[in-house]
Amino acid sequence: MTDVAQSATAYALEGVDVVKSFEGVRALQGVNLQVRAGEIHALLGENGAGKSTLIKVLTGLYTADGGRIEMGGEPVEFAGVRAAHRAGIVALYQELSIIPTISVAENILLGDETPHRGLFIDRRALLRRAGEQLARLNQRIPLGKLAGHLSPVQQTMVAVARALATDARVLILDEPTASLTDVEIRDLFTVLRALREDGVAIVYVSHRLEEVFELCDRLTIMRNGRTITTRDIDDITVDEVISTMVGRKADELFPDRGTATSTVTLAVSGLSGRRVTDISFEAHAGEVLGIGGLAGAGRSEVMRILSGAQKRSAGEILLDGVALTRPGVGPALAAGIALVPEERRTQGVMVGAPIQDNIALANLGSVSRGGWVSRARIAELARRSLSDLQIKARSPRQPVGQLSGGNQQKVVLAKMLARSPRVLLMDEPTRGIDVGTKAEIYRLIRQLAATGTTVILVSSELPELIGVSDRILIMHEGRLTADVPAATADDESLLSYCYGRVA
Amino acid sequence: MPETQTLSTAMTPQERTPIAQLLWQGGTVLALVVLIVFFTIVRPDVFPSFTNVRNIFEQVAILTIIAAAQTLVMVVGDFDLSVGTNATLSGAIATALMISGTPVPLAILVALAAGALVGAVNGILVAYVKLSAFVATLATMTTVGGLAYIVTNGTTLYGMPEEFFWIGQERLFGIPMPVVFAFLIAAVVWVVLRFTTFGRRLYAVGGNAEVARLSGVNVRRARLLAFTFAGLGSAVGGVVLVSRLGSASSASANNYMLLAIAAVFLGMTILKSGQANLGGTLVGVGIIGVLSNGLNILGVNTYVQQVLTGLIIIAAVTLSALKSRDA
Repeated sequence: MTDVAQSATAYALEGVDVVKSFEGVRALQGVNLQVRAGEIHALLGENGAGKSTLIKVLTGLYTADGGRIEMGGEPVEFAGVRAAHRAGIVALYQELSIIPTISVAENILLGDETPHRGLFIDRRALLRRAGEQLARLNQRIPLGKLAGHLSPVQQTMVAVARALATDARVLILDEPTASLTDVEIRDLFTVLRALREDGVAIVYVSHRLEEVFELCDRLTIMRNGRTITTRDIDDITVDEVISTMVGRKADELFPDRGTATSTVTLAVSGLSGRRVTDISFEAHAGEVLGIGGLAGAGRSEVMRILSGAQKRSAGEILLDGVALTRPGVGPALAAGIALVPEERRTQGVMVGAPIQDNIALANLGSVSRGGWVSRARIAELARRSLSDLQIKARSPRQPVGQLSGGNQQKVVLAKMLARSPRVLLMDEPTRGIDVGTKAEIYRLIRQLAATGTTVILVSSELPELIGVSDRILIMHEGRLTADVPAATADDESLLSYCYGRVA
Repeated sequence: MPETQTLSTAMTPQERTPIAQLLWQGGTVLALVVLIVFFTIVRPDVFPSFTNVRNIFEQVAILTIIAAAQTLVMVVGDFDLSVGTNATLSGAIATALMISGTPVPLAILVALAAGALVGAVNGILVAYVKLSAFVATLATMTTVGGLAYIVTNGTTLYGMPEEFFWIGQERLFGIPMPVVFAFLIAAVVWVVLRFTTFGRRLYAVGGNAEVARLSGVNVRRARLLAFTFAGLGSAVGGVVLVSRLGSASSASANNYMLLAIAAVFLGMTILKSGQANLGGTLVGVGIIGVLSNGLNILGVNTYVQQVLTGLIIIAAVTLSALKSRDA
């Protein structure tokens, strides 16, 4: 009797009073998480709240110091990732764990799952079973294709298919939509909802609250290593979620705008290059100019061309009336155009190097004399950056890789701001960053604009574009389709420009 | 003031660590210490004597120069297989010119220029033509090795003017000149890597070339210069070598390539970041030099020596790999 009653109320996955410390720092101090079979459960919190640590404990990557984990009411202990895997818990991380150099089918049935006869792979069974998994997700992806050639959403689907192939009962997704376009996100949601119907328990970690409210059934909010609350999605508002995450009343996320002047700083005409066709626009001192569009529309490429990182095949770039002619990033930087690139960890910072070395790298001229580096000046520059941007770090010598995503992004910003650029190009500056840091970056953007800097902002999040920019350009397949004031812009019209309608 | 001191000492990519931590972190440093202690205990009469220590320094002088050159290239994340034959060719050119009556300074200058040119060719192939460093320098290694045979006619050249021997055979305050040159070259490379913007750029390129590029570093030029200076350094090694030997053969310095790469690799293990660094390279050179000298004293034959050298390198690198896994 009691057994039946227990299993009826038991959770697919439950963490009870989970505690985990690293070198005396308590990353998790009594976390309680209950995930039901057949629900999509959002796990929310600022960077550093302990979400990643919790996931790693749940998936056997870390061993908890205290508390217990239960599956279906039974206590479980995992000796490692494979053990958790066998028990039916699979996590998909931000950096997707597909192997780009082997086929889709081989990715889906990886390792122990690969059908074989003796030493040889059973190709027919491989294709059949992999095909079944994709069919379950309603995906048409060529099984023989190299996984590295797939689009990001297809790669996510392959990773999900692999999880299902191992009969996962609990699926943990960490920022699965970070590199997906709106359409691809729809596809993913459809699949996740189907899995929910099948009784899979899904833990969904995301910074995008609209997605959470659209997709999830319940949510658990973490702060400072504790779970603060677990609620039905219908019982809580976005503002409440934000204020619970940051632990204070949600400030107005977007600061006031309106510092744009009529002085043209950057004038671009007829700009063309890879993925960019005949782009012309002007940007003004004190203006925040947003550039929107679908992924692959050429937004990043425009930024890269302006910053000298990518070649242009035609067109002219005038900065304060002077044409930029010398190719390369160095000359553009020297002229006053600085880029905060799209991919933080592969383009923005050297993760293994200290904060101060990263900041110094783009400022070697100002921290040296006659080619000789001044260590005092590097330290001074780093200290000033840490305090100006409120970068949370133990010391300027801490490797950037140890910082949270938001603080890493601030290091990239600091590096470029130290050049006092006339034009600051920011490519997806808030991707994968918690709400608190996002608000800080928005404020910073407006502060820069207020001092006369021109900020050009590329973002995939339309509310962000509308909230921060003075004016918005939309690109579609390499061309500009719209140039509208942000004050009168709305999601729907912008989205239609993104899909090619011309304003 | 004391605070600025501590901040500034650990500023370069190779963060400075206390000796104790180095020992713990680097099996490599430990390996060198163990070797020295071992040989001192086994042959206290010979190994630690003044003459023998001076011998060791003299024996590793050329390797130090070539390994320092190799360090530059490995800092930017490439490597150069042609340093050995490049040194051979430069030595041969200098010798051939001197024998045919060219003034000594001019002959040396031409030899150094030739070495730098070979390095520049490597740099262009790798940085601008975008060949892999392995393929490009393998090809130049072969080509330059062939040129050395042509210059020497496949024989051993000798009969340089007396004044040339000053470079390789004289002593300055009792210190053999090759050791003086090795010290100078190592010091220059160390200072450049640690205290100049050029050194910072090299480390940035080696750390993450794309980040460096987007930060305004001219990545291709940095790599070209690293290879060019490596070529120049190799040439210095080659010239000092032929002066010390008093002759130039068609393959005199070829063996230094593998030893130089081994030394830099050993040195990379002493840093957590795994970057090439001059201090580490010197430790690597020390291991190779002490081992070969000690085994000679013990009368171990050269083939066995070769086996042992390989095993010691594996042991040292494995040890520090295990340590860094704990961290």
